[in-house]
Amino acid sequence: MEFSGSHRINAPRAVVWAALNDPEVLRRCTPGCEEVVRVSPTEFTARMVLKIGPMKVSFAGNVTLTELDPPASCRIVGEGQGGVAGFAKGSSLVRLDEEGEETVLTYQTEAKVGGKIAQLGARLIDGTVKKLVGEFFTAFATVVAPQAAAEPVAGEA
Amino acid sequence: MFAFAYHRPATLIEAQAALAASEEAKPLAGGQTLIPTLKQRLASPSDLVDLGGIPALRGITVVQDLLVIGAMVRHVEVATSPIVATHLPALAALAGLIGDPAVRNRGTLGGSVANNDPSADYPAACLALDAVIVTDRRELPAGDFFTGLFETALQPGEIVTAVRFPLGGEATYEKFPNPASRYAMAGVFVRRGEGGIRVAVTGASQGGVFRWGAAEAALAAGFSPAALDGLRPEAEEMIADIHGSGAYRAQLVAVMARRAVARLAAAR
Repeated sequence: MEFSGSHRINAPRAVVWAALNDPEVLRRCTPGCEEVVRVSPTEFTARMVLKIGPMKVSFAGNVTLTELDPPASCRIVGEGQGGVAGFAKGSSLVRLDEEGEETVLTYQTEAKVGGKIAQLGARLIDGTVKKLVGEFFTAFATVVAPQAAAEPVAGEA
Repeated sequence: MFAFAYHRPATLIEAQAALAASEEAKPLAGGQTLIPTLKQRLASPSDLVDLGGIPALRGITVVQDLLVIGAMVRHVEVATSPIVATHLPALAALAGLIGDPAVRNRGTLGGSVANNDPSADYPAACLALDAVIVTDRRELPAGDFFTGLFETALQPGEIVTAVRFPLGGEATYEKFPNPASRYAMAGVFVRRGEGGIRVAVTGASQGGVFRWGAAEAALAAGFSPAALDGLRPEAEEMIADIHGSGAYRAQLVAVMARRAVARLAAAR
């Protein structure tokens, strides 16, 4: 599945860029994320718990930042294994545009979920993934500019 | 399966204590979603607290102008209850359409609303009828209780005890079931009464059950299937999966809504 969205963040672009590379910020913003550990400047390992209705599955995986063009854009690539439950992988191309003192963050995401979790939850996966990614960027915008809660500019499927 | 502790409390207080004892404890109602999930190992609670032995969660009664149904009342009981048939026949008909006989013999009203599956039938009835969900802590109107895909206002350990349906007016439910699972591909519950017209849709939206405001407004201006001509929900907001695209579900919602209105209009 593919989808996109954008947020206006009340912080300069350099600050937003730094936050995007901060494992602690990534952990706080990812729904259900328990741990993010930096293993190299652009690689992280992560653990998260995915809850969809009655399902509750732990994923362990890694996150890599590629196509780095600081402080304008990068691609966040992630994949996780949920044991017998299945796997999830995807990437978001994130672009930061300066608008005065503010930054507009735009993302384009593609994601794939497979295995048992996708078979059982086929009618639920798309909506859930979209919601989780939306929650991530909303939380990110809030963490980066805590004084003024960020407003979503637009989100489209 | 994997190891977990099984509890079967006889009172609500014992159930609350068992749920509070562990963060990973889960209440078990009819188990029609939870048990298959456990079998697939897609959840692994430490404790299951079976609510089936608590008499206070059972029973179907009419109190003044309210139909009160206990959380552990099974679908088959609602479908065949003379009380429900007399006072709220649309709800009895809806219960008879849920799943298959095995599901109806085990599945419960409380389990269905607490799970808030986006394709479950009961949430549409609760929302259209402006029902009140009663828990062991508080009472919530359905509009505040259902908060999104598989999400409710329930807090950890909070137990649904009953649902109160206001009586009066006329109601009907039209559903296009998936032929395999009998889950709603689109289900539309229409109620016409003193509080106006309410239209609730299940099975179709990525956000779970919702009130279809545009249809309510159109029907308030003129209660006929023709009033809904050209109306359909946004296809992008509908569930798209192997069973059907968003546009297909949006069209199904429109058709189910027209059928429901036609049936109500004819019954007058």
